[in-house]
Amino acid sequence: MRMVRASSSVFCVSVTAACLLAACGDGGGKKARFLIGFSQCNLAEPWRQAMNDDALREAANYKDLIEVEFQDANNDDATQVSQLRTFIRKGVDLIIVSPRTKQPCVEPVKEAIVRGIPVIVLDRDLETEAYTCFIGAPNYDIGKAAGNYIVEVLGGRGKVLEIQGLLASVPAEERRNGFRDAIRDHPGIEVIDAPEGRWLREEGQKKMEVALQAHEEIDLVYAHNDPMAIGAYLAAEAKGRDDDILFVGIDGLPGEDDGPKAVLDGHLSATFLYPTCGKEAIATAVKILKGEPAPKKIALETALITKENAALYYRPKAR
Amino acid sequence: MSHQTPRESSLSRHLRRFQGGIGLVAVFLLACLFGRSHRGDLVFIRPDNLTDILRDASEKGILAVGMTFVILTAGIDLSVGRILALACMLTGHFLMVWQWPALAVIALVLGAGLAMGFLNGLIVTRGRLQPFVVTLATMLVFYGLAKLVTGGPVIGMSAAPAGFQVLAGELFAGVRVPIVVFLGSVVAGELVLRGTVFGRFVYAVGGNEVAARFAGVPVSSVKAWVYAISGLLSALAGVLHCAQYKQADPNVGAGYELDAIAAVVIGGTNLMGGRGSVLGTMAGVLIVGIIDNILQINGIDPNLQKVIKGAIILGAALLQRRKGQS
Repeated sequence: MRMVRASSSVFCVSVTAACLLAACGDGGGKKARFLIGFSQCNLAEPWRQAMNDDALREAANYKDLIEVEFQDANNDDATQVSQLRTFIRKGVDLIIVSPRTKQPCVEPVKEAIVRGIPVIVLDRDLETEAYTCFIGAPNYDIGKAAGNYIVEVLGGRGKVLEIQGLLASVPAEERRNGFRDAIRDHPGIEVIDAPEGRWLREEGQKKMEVALQAHEEIDLVYAHNDPMAIGAYLAAEAKGRDDDILFVGIDGLPGEDDGPKAVLDGHLSATFLYPTCGKEAIATAVKILKGEPAPKKIALETALITKENAALYYRPKAR
Repeated sequence: MSHQTPRESSLSRHLRRFQGGIGLVAVFLLACLFGRSHRGDLVFIRPDNLTDILRDASEKGILAVGMTFVILTAGIDLSVGRILALACMLTGHFLMVWQWPALAVIALVLGAGLAMGFLNGLIVTRGRLQPFVVTLATMLVFYGLAKLVTGGPVIGMSAAPAGFQVLAGELFAGVRVPIVVFLGSVVAGELVLRGTVFGRFVYAVGGNEVAARFAGVPVSSVKAWVYAISGLLSALAGVLHCAQYKQADPNVGAGYELDAIAAVVIGGTNLMGGRGSVLGTMAGVLIVGIIDNILQINGIDPNLQKVIKGAIILGAALLQRRKGQS
């Protein structure tokens, strides 16, 4: 009896697994000419989800030519490295990787290149130049653009609260340095405090609550991303001080809770686009697969999003 | 062993004892059947793919061997992933910043891992606290300590001395040092459990702690030592991690404890303690590794992958429940 039960349960588990595999395995239908493997380091971040969405939308324009297979490395280097190796083993025609950190992916990227598989690296650069193409948007330049805008909008005079991203992370450092360099020659702009908001809306809100207690006068809040800027706005609104303070963020994602919508609603005065590279990655991949030349490095530019143009960046149904 | 019913046939007992092995064979065959091919060869069965699976599974496999000891005593160790991270940071700091010789660094870090695990064990036994609570707390402590080493940034280790990089090196035909260390820890673990008095004590403590105490088993020290073993193996995995991925990152290892526990459960070790084996755990580790690999080869949606893996762990836990009833 027991033997029958034990073996039947092993059997059940196996069969379930088999059915799942069979159900999803070859669901693709007709085959495109080229298969692209896309390893995203962490899909839990909205910006990275937007990157995948942009890539998927662009890939829809080349349905007969390419098929893109997305993998999520769950913010784990070992998983990402394993995904890249599996892409190589299964013989994808091109790899797109948005790496978590700059070192671990170096070895599989080199291996792919040796085996003739082109590799496009997105957003974070690797500690090698062995890849085919790197696409990214320099955070330093975005920070600088934000700084220049802030100088202009404040007329060269005012008290600024800077809410920083995760300290010691590269994007936070670059968004700070660009901003600080832009305001250096304008002594009228004073940074009264620069708390860490860890990229999170709740943290931005909390840090703003503290700042509102500590400072009678705040003219502008510069947050390293939109969620923190929106959080800061909410804190000021709750205290009835939102009319005296301007809010500036970075990212410009298209969703309901993101920067452009907040600009349209008049909560933020501006945000700066941090382009996701998803669309450009697919466009470049198509070029490479067709044998056309592609540049080694592509630097995407930011865009100032204000009330005049925010509607162009707000695409609630796109997500 | 103490729960076996006398009516049970020997065939069924064997079948259950080798649950992990049977599952492994089943998953392997299914992977062969349903895996995609590329230019006529089955991708899954290619030797380089098989060694990739072993290589990717080796670090979590080493954690899972230690976890098996802890779970056999009806305990749990949630701190393994963070001990791994702290071991990485210590290795990076000693080797790259202080430039100590590789062998000394490895010995020191392994010793530190042993001490961290022993600390877990001491708090569990002396403090008479639930292992879940103790290791939940120390998980946080070790994570904080790992972050404190640099204050956040990773330590690049691509320029580590050759004597250290050997740890990620290839021995023959794609078989790398971490694979050998994993298989070695399985053999050592199995030998200790089957062939030593300490091993028998481990099963006795997990089977029935009160009876073990009356029979003269030094329950507290057995418990302290299983956590120490787990800490040692976690640090070992951490050292290998630095060598394999060429950086020490304080944020590594999040959720590794859950993967290790899942592998132990799938391998047939009872979470209530007293029953199971390191060989079963090895089968569990490989089952998870093969499933991960085949889901990727077939290009399954990453969100669906999580659902499928969860379902498989549940299935294995259901088998556990049947085993527990007698």
